[in-house]
Amino acid sequence: MLRGVDPVHPLDEHKTWPEIRNKLRQWRKENVRCSDKIVELGEYALRHYSANLGREKWAVFEQVCVAALDLCPAKMKLVNLCIQQLSEQFPSSLRVSMLEGLKFEHLKKWDEALEMYDGMIEYEPTFPAPYKRKVAIFKAQDKLVDAVNELNRYLSTFSCDYESWMELSDIYINQQNYNKAQFCLEELLLQYPHNHLYHQKYADILFTIGGKENLELSCKYYCKAVELNPNNVRALFGIQLASSSLSTIGKLSSKSKLDNQSLAAWASNMIEDHYKSHKGTTKNLIIEVASVLDKLSIK
Amino acid sequence: MTGIAMQDKNCEIQVSLAAYSKLLCHVMQYPYTAVNGVLLAPDSLTSEDEVLEVVDCVPLFHYSLSLAPMFIVALTQIEEYAASKDLQICGYYHANEYDTDKDVGAVATRIADKIAENCDVSCLLLVENEKLSRISTEVPIKAFLPTKANERIDWKSCGKPSVQFGDKGLSIGPEIVNKQLYRSIIDMDCHYDDVSLHWDNRAIDEVVKLFVESLT
Repeated sequence: MLRGVDPVHPLDEHKTWPEIRNKLRQWRKENVRCSDKIVELGEYALRHYSANLGREKWAVFEQVCVAALDLCPAKMKLVNLCIQQLSEQFPSSLRVSMLEGLKFEHLKKWDEALEMYDGMIEYEPTFPAPYKRKVAIFKAQDKLVDAVNELNRYLSTFSCDYESWMELSDIYINQQNYNKAQFCLEELLLQYPHNHLYHQKYADILFTIGGKENLELSCKYYCKAVELNPNNVRALFGIQLASSSLSTIGKLSSKSKLDNQSLAAWASNMIEDHYKSHKGTTKNLIIEVASVLDKLSIK
Repeated sequence: MTGIAMQDKNCEIQVSLAAYSKLLCHVMQYPYTAVNGVLLAPDSLTSEDEVLEVVDCVPLFHYSLSLAPMFIVALTQIEEYAASKDLQICGYYHANEYDTDKDVGAVATRIADKIAENCDVSCLLLVENEKLSRISTEVPIKAFLPTKANERIDWKSCGKPSVQFGDKGLSIGPEIVNKQLYRSIIDMDCHYDDVSLHWDNRAIDEVVKLFVESLT
């Protein structure tokens, strides 16, 4: 028996009706994948607060259905109940048909799911969801070439879909095809130039590819990320790493090397301040970090 | 590449309950994505020993596993931490994204190679995703040891690692699920999102200590 740990259920933390409703809304808005918590809280809300939810209950049914599919086969009854309720309320709805498609995917009935999604695309070509589920099916079947082709075809039409650009970049990163991942991040940066996470990830890819020009460029993008969010500790470490590496490259002028060394030192100070300013960081951790920064500076 | 010598001796890999629990928690907290981590052994362990004893592990990432910068920083931090606890990095664990993917892929090989090149002893543990539903009766992990082949490292399968306390130790797996211990796992990704969260996972160590006391 495990002692010293008690499972914390969302119902222990969110007891009142407004807390439950707000938590479910927050999870929907942030698209958080905590399926066991969503099912527990959502099912409770549907059973006990259906009248309070009003029209919002249909969004909660959809939310609980998708979360329950993550927990299947244990929650298949709940999935069927949600689909049944939604079908009665919204007959011939594409969004409800998506849930049927997800059910086929869970059961690994790939052909039935693909047929359903192709039918939906033919009926309503501007509805993005079935295109993306086709990509998910190819990924699940480990057909990454098909997944990439399908995603590229989708993005040639729906080029503003940031989620899909990110998905494509992740597939390329896993295949270690960093140049193509770089292209995806460039598309994202064009659309969202003020997102520090995209700047930082672009810099990470450039650093991984390597070479003097890429290191210099990665340093600039890390700096931009820190300018947009000074608390992005990954970007600060990135500046430290990139500028330290650059300061040891023989081809650079002595002024460039000095500039890079100063930048690395500045980044190290920022990182140490970041650790010191966070409540809960121990003295040992701060000492370890100082030693780590020394090691990262030495090449 | 001194870490290569162990394969010649058919060495055995033993995983402590602390390391095994943290590995399982990491995999269970992020079941929809690939995860990886680093294994730690006592720093007295050498490539001459016949048993590779994994006493702890540090979960690394659950997102963008193959990007270099944070991997370099994380490894340096873990080395520093290990040295302060008389430990050394002794290997790498990896769980693939899909349950049907049973291979040591390119990403896992690349990272494991890097670790093998820089450590005295090393091993690679690959989580068998399909066997996670049977954790009460078997260890869902395949172990690999490095061998040198034409200046390259080849990872040869050496069966399953053994878990501390054998069958009694395996009973911690279902308990982790029932008590949802996986919710408290902190990996390096969590740490860099909020540096006040420490990846040594002391809370899990304490729980495992109480469990071990109940067994002995």
